[in-house]
Amino acid sequence: MGSLRVALLGLLVAVPVAAQSSQFGVRGLGLLQRPISVRATGTGGSFGLFDPESALNPASIGLVSFLNANFQTVQGWRRSENPAGAASARDNRYPGVFVAGPIGGTRLSMSVSASGFTDRNFVLGSRDTLILRGVPVEAFDTLSSQGGLSDLRAAVAWRQSRAVQWGLALHLITGSNRIESRREFADSSYVGATERFTYSFLGFGASAGVMVRLGRSVTLGGMVRTDDRLRTERDSLAIGSIALPVTVSGGARFQLGDRLMLAGSALYRNWSVANSDLLGQGGTGSVNSTEVSAGLEFLTDPRRAFNRPIRLGLRRATLPFPLRPGDKTTETAVSLGTAFRFLADRAGFDFALQRVWRKGGTGFEETATLLTLGITVRQP
Amino acid sequence: MTRVRALVMLLALGVAGACQEELAAPTECPELCPGLSLIIRDTTLLANQDQDSSFTGYVGAQEMSALLISDGINAGEARAFATYPKRPDSVTVGGSTLPLTVDSVALTVNLLARDSTLGGLKLFLHRIAPDRDTTVTLADVDAMLTPATLIDSVVISDTLKRGTIRLVLPANKLDLLIGAGSDSGRLGIGYRIKAAEPTGIRIGSLFSVSGGPLLIAYGRVAVIDTALQRQTLTVPAEKANYVIEVPAVSGNDRLVVGGKLGTRSILRFTIPPAVRDSATIIRATLELTPAVPIRGLRNDPAALQVRGVLVDLGAKSPVLANLSVTTPSRANDTAVQEVEVLSIVSAWLGKDNSVPTVLLMGIAPEGGSFGRPEFFSSRSGTGAPGLRITYALPSRPGHP
Repeated sequence: MGSLRVALLGLLVAVPVAAQSSQFGVRGLGLLQRPISVRATGTGGSFGLFDPESALNPASIGLVSFLNANFQTVQGWRRSENPAGAASARDNRYPGVFVAGPIGGTRLSMSVSASGFTDRNFVLGSRDTLILRGVPVEAFDTLSSQGGLSDLRAAVAWRQSRAVQWGLALHLITGSNRIESRREFADSSYVGATERFTYSFLGFGASAGVMVRLGRSVTLGGMVRTDDRLRTERDSLAIGSIALPVTVSGGARFQLGDRLMLAGSALYRNWSVANSDLLGQGGTGSVNSTEVSAGLEFLTDPRRAFNRPIRLGLRRATLPFPLRPGDKTTETAVSLGTAFRFLADRAGFDFALQRVWRKGGTGFEETATLLTLGITVRQP
Repeated sequence: MTRVRALVMLLALGVAGACQEELAAPTECPELCPGLSLIIRDTTLLANQDQDSSFTGYVGAQEMSALLISDGINAGEARAFATYPKRPDSVTVGGSTLPLTVDSVALTVNLLARDSTLGGLKLFLHRIAPDRDTTVTLADVDAMLTPATLIDSVVISDTLKRGTIRLVLPANKLDLLIGAGSDSGRLGIGYRIKAAEPTGIRIGSLFSVSGGPLLIAYGRVAVIDTALQRQTLTVPAEKANYVIEVPAVSGNDRLVVGGKLGTRSILRFTIPPAVRDSATIIRATLELTPAVPIRGLRNDPAALQVRGVLVDLGAKSPVLANLSVTTPSRANDTAVQEVEVLSIVSAWLGKDNSVPTVLLMGIAPEGGSFGRPEFFSSRSGTGAPGLRITYALPSRPGHP
């Protein structure tokens, strides 16, 4: 119980807090985040539907037999290029906290988690020439956003049998974008000006999922999620709402011998439902997004499955918020990962290293290297 | 060992995570930015009609920070005068009071400012009746500055911009310092200046940091120790003042600042609610149109000082000491005078701000400068005072 209390306290501060993440997070609600564990990240996300430490499929916690909590942090190194130039930056995020455990005496398990829903940290710089009092004056503009949306989830799963688990979850989507727009002038006769305000968001959702094991080696998983409209405020003034998509995902996992597991999954969101709302608020709209991933996990020691495994993955996705209307934005990633367990497997670290390529429109490219660390504690 | 390795890796990751850079990604706006940058606007607000006026009397008649002496400039004719108390006839040497036999006297003044481009200045010192009060006129003083009262003149070095001007009178000229018996030993000195062209100087007053006029008597006392025989006696002037006859202000539609008694002008503006509530002013310039070429001494610019006020009480409005700006006001300039008043105007903004939208103008040093500009007012047909503000309005960028 003490462990659970500490973990719940952690949920309250688990929001995106870092600096610029991606130029592709400027539009819409930002760069989509994935509610998956470090283990699933190491496999390109392909294990997310089956992973008891991921918040994607509520049924995946059905086989949890211990109370466990995990926390993850991501360090990123990124280089962005666009027609105006190039820039490099690094950032740090804390994308998730997850706690799950069985409900004693029942076939139920429950979990609470906080994970990133979107990340909208960016700093954009541009220059312009204005005619002030009849004289050309060079102006330097900086637009920055800090924040994003978090997905707080409470889930319960029912273990119908060792082969079939069902899950239900409620979601609270909340967060803010702290916007700062600054304009400085080359002519020192003019002082700079800054405006600051905050966009706040609130929405609710629900998801359901299932995991079915077929025979000894095949497990199928699927989930569906629907969210209410996301209410938007600017400095406490309601300015509208944004429709959120229905999410559908399905996948399969294959156990090949004692040491090797393969998985593949696909995910679809009809983000186009938000298009008119985003256009109405001055944005560039949204398009439906898809994600496919495949990966494997090789166990170096089958008796200790979570100690020193080798994880590999590949992911390809389209992003829902184009930089310009009509642009198609894609994200491709390769990943690898491993883990270490100690204290009789009661604690451990998971690592995932990703190389990500993003492209959108003409001349917009980005490469990023993301190192994710997860800390897991479990109470037998 | 496994635990130690994991701990080291965690520490390394934590150090890496602690370092963050926030570098701006270049972009092309407005095409690729989520919203526009701050919107820049520029407008000129005229001073409120009939709510601007000039007031005088901010400097006491004896409290000016400099004494003015001029000859022929457009800022007015000025003469200075000083009164020395009766000079003691003895000094204290080694605890004994001994009579001083004076063999020479130096009369000094401290030069504060001049037109350094004009050479050949000559300062004339006249013996005049002491105790000229503040009601004295230029004609009264000029009537006393005759060849008969001339003590001597001193040529001001062309290289001297600030410092002491000294006139030394040897023993055979000391009689020139002796006045009428009714003066009771007191000494009145009148000062005027001459040069090849109209010009003026400013010299230290009793309120100047550098000090006012001095009389220094050099003499001997009868003591055996030859090192103590030579003594000096310094006598500061007990009164020092000046009289200036300035050209009359033409018309009641003028705003005047400066002058001997410290004339100030007050301006009131109305800031539009949209600017007051939402804008950030990035530049604010007070524009004043001279009604006549600015009166003053060439190459000795006065400082046109503009201040905000705490409460609008008209002439007696208390000024905000921390909201003050100055700009040079050059003699004979006819161009619109521009004073950057952003620091003052910025304090006016905000929806419930009670700071008065008032500007109080004056000249520094007040009462001790030739600068005396006359500007058109809100009652003038053209050239009314204006406040040109360039401001930024929020654009609410960053929308989803």
